[in-house]
Amino acid sequence: MSESSTPSATETWLLRFGTAGALVAMLGRGKRWWMVPLVLVLLLVSVGLLFLTNLPYLAPFIYMVF
Amino acid sequence: MPTYVLGVSALYHDAAVALVCDGVVVAAVQEERFSRLKHDASLPVRSAKWCLDRAGITADQVDWLVFYEKPLRKFERILTNAVATFPRSSGAFPRQMRAWLGDKLWLRGNLCAAFGVRPERVLFSEHHLSHAASAFYCSPHAEAAILCLDGVGEWATTSLWRGRGSEIEPVAEVRWPHSLGLYYSAITAHLGFAVNEGEFKVMGMAAYGVPRFRAEMDPLLHLEPGGGFSIDMDKFSWHWHASEAAGAKLQAILGPSRFPGTPFTPTAAAGEGSPREVEECQRYADIAATAQAQIEEAVLHLARHAKSTVGGDAICLAGGVALNSVANHRLASEGPFASVWVQPAAGDAGGALGAALWVWHSVLGNPRGAAMRRADIGRDTPIARSREILEDLGGRPEDVGESAPERAAEDLAAGRVIGWMNGRCEWGPRALGHRSILADPREAATRDLVNQRIKYREPFRPFAPSVVAEAADRYFDIPAAAAAPVRFMLATAVVRDEAKAQLGAVTHVDGSARVQVVDADSSPEYHRLITRFGELTGVPVVLNTSFNLKGEPVVSTPVDAMASFTRSGLDVLYIDGLRVERPK
Amino acid sequence: MGVFRRAWLTVASEFSWRVPGRPQRLLAAFSLAERGSMMDMLAAVEATTRRDMRRKYFIHALDEGRHARIFADRVRDFGQTGRADAALEDSGQLVEAGIVGGKTLFERFGEAKFLAFVYVAEADAVEQFNVYLERGLPDPATQATLRTILKDEVFHVAYSRAEVEKLRKEGHAVDKMCRDLRMARVWERYLRFSRDVGTFVSGIWLTILYFVVLAPFRLFARTEGGGWQPASAPRADRLAAARAEG
Repeated sequence: MSESSTPSATETWLLRFGTAGALVAMLGRGKRWWMVPLVLVLLLVSVGLLFLTNLPYLAPFIYMVF
Repeated sequence: MPTYVLGVSALYHDAAVALVCDGVVVAAVQEERFSRLKHDASLPVRSAKWCLDRAGITADQVDWLVFYEKPLRKFERILTNAVATFPRSSGAFPRQMRAWLGDKLWLRGNLCAAFGVRPERVLFSEHHLSHAASAFYCSPHAEAAILCLDGVGEWATTSLWRGRGSEIEPVAEVRWPHSLGLYYSAITAHLGFAVNEGEFKVMGMAAYGVPRFRAEMDPLLHLEPGGGFSIDMDKFSWHWHASEAAGAKLQAILGPSRFPGTPFTPTAAAGEGSPREVEECQRYADIAATAQAQIEEAVLHLARHAKSTVGGDAICLAGGVALNSVANHRLASEGPFASVWVQPAAGDAGGALGAALWVWHSVLGNPRGAAMRRADIGRDTPIARSREILEDLGGRPEDVGESAPERAAEDLAAGRVIGWMNGRCEWGPRALGHRSILADPREAATRDLVNQRIKYREPFRPFAPSVVAEAADRYFDIPAAAAAPVRFMLATAVVRDEAKAQLGAVTHVDGSARVQVVDADSSPEYHRLITRFGELTGVPVVLNTSFNLKGEPVVSTPVDAMASFTRSGLDVLYIDGLRVERPK
Repeated sequence: MGVFRRAWLTVASEFSWRVPGRPQRLLAAFSLAERGSMMDMLAAVEATTRRDMRRKYFIHALDEGRHARIFADRVRDFGQTGRADAALEDSGQLVEAGIVGGKTLFERFGEAKFLAFVYVAEADAVEQFNVYLERGLPDPATQATLRTILKDEVFHVAYSRAEVEKLRKEGHAVDKMCRDLRMARVWERYLRFSRDVGTFVSGIWLTILYFVVLAPFRLFARTEGGGWQPASAPRADRLAAARAEG
């Protein structure tokens, strides 16, 4: 696959913000608007999960603290 | 400038890629054929690379990459369901959120990174729309009703569409958690088989039983007067449990579930097992028969609604439940449509093709092209490489060239079981004479030999026949409406009474067979092989099963073929024009 | 490091074989590992450009496939047919155990380092089985299974060592490769452990979140009823609709 079209780390995070925004907007427009607060909490959790997915070796140290 | 659309399905089961150029399918292949992991669901990077190489292009030249479903709507359904089933879903919730928040939700970025495509070129179809497109656009029909039946997409588990020209319009849907696919999977699990793998085994087991559990099971799957259906979700747990589709409540109705791996010895194979074991096995067969009858009637019920709502003479089917070939036979025999067309890759893999065709026809507004008459649109190997591999692995290949079909027929007539690898891989789960194990269909003992020495399958499972088109009617009673599905082995047929004695290895216990009708235009080599076999034996029919060993995907390359050949009891291996015989 | 590894194996083997229920799980894990090795060796047959190595990798692959079956048969002897079948057939288990997934070993390492990996992995396996047999673990039938497999593993060590020596003569820094690979195997075990820790603790936090945050929303959510429901009409702007992720 072409290396030049692979998004950079910044682009990847921008895409993720875009997806998060699209999710909130989709719920806000539809009949499940009540899920917006729940989804916002989950999106905050996802930051931590993404962090751990990309840096799994830190998990034992982080969880010793939390 | 040609327009390339790359369709992708992934992340649940059967990841696949389909590359379409100006509406013509260049290649379509499942990732499992590369990774050698059955039902591989990971992003199909290898498949994509192969398809692009086949077309002679790079990722930069792909105009559109389309994923086969809407991930955010799927997440919405999962989260809504978790809340609606609170607190029972507490076991499933952590695993689902880890998977989604840690990976699946961020699909756009993942697709760009994996396939090297710019974000502005990434599109998203819808799950059932992808199924509908895979069925309608590949069919020969200008207008048709389209019925999609599976486990679940974003929200829909069953959907009805109207196909007209290049347009596919949604008509109605049945929503999660009411799902025919998951109902059948729950029964599959109750009968001790793995879900998404064992459904075909339930179909095979059903032929040994009678549907005597209607009183107990009809309340579980209710066919509604409005043409739809509903499930008594109180008895099932697929909508809240982390891993089980049904538990104690179903066992209270049907009795204890079958422990995986328990031998199946029903009345038909009496003589094996104690009387109690035989009785238990008969109960399992009767449950399978009941569930199968229910699914068939549900499909008919839905089809009648399709006829009254959409009308027309043709119906196109896709979705995993459309792989139920016994139900397809019933639809063709008793249903209201004159023509039934089923997408060969009716499961999620087919969504990749459907999504790509949807972009070409519906989004970009292009007219329809030719119907899909062949399923061999997958991976192949240049003959020079095949020869080199076979020589290096000690195969000592004999170059039989163009006479391979005739030589293979002679091997079959001499009682040998052969591995037949010819041309490009088939698209979909059925082996159609490109990646097949072939044998003489006449004696029942051949079925047992192939089951025990080569496929290592449960003894009750039947094998399927391939017959040349000119002789099909002589051996099988095929409904006119099933003329298309039987070309792709997607509908069963009744073996004619006078033919049963000649087809002992491929006639199931109930007198049916999941037949493939082979015509010379779409499978010339395979047609020649079966024709020659007919000249030698008087029966132009062969036993055809997929070329793979238990637990492995169908073979794709000469290396796969040699590995399976060496580890099994196959007598001869054919790879295009090369013949390898097992040393005596 | 060999001393530490041997000491670890000696201690771990007591737990692995003597705790009830553990032997059959370990044998199933061996079956799974052998199956993964078979797949890696077949991938090497596909990918290598060295024609002299294809048949060696192929024979090695067939051995590993046979070992997977032998270990699974021993698991069946314990009455665990389901576990044996899963080790031989369930691809998901291979991925979950981190045995396969993503790039193959050959794709990751290239030919030279792949051969070094084969040598290191087979030598470690021989050492592991020898420790079990020296300690008289676990039972006579399983010991016989291990001895059968050990014969092939010793051959695998021999041929891969011979290939590694050829690489040394060609100027490859094989000792460094082997050291790096051994460290990488330790690191990968740590990563697997970390992922397991992460999975376990994130599971606890997500469960707490489930009970604390989801509960109030229960009032709003309903399970959908069955039967046909009208489908949503598609958006007029098809391309805009197709761009949307939801």
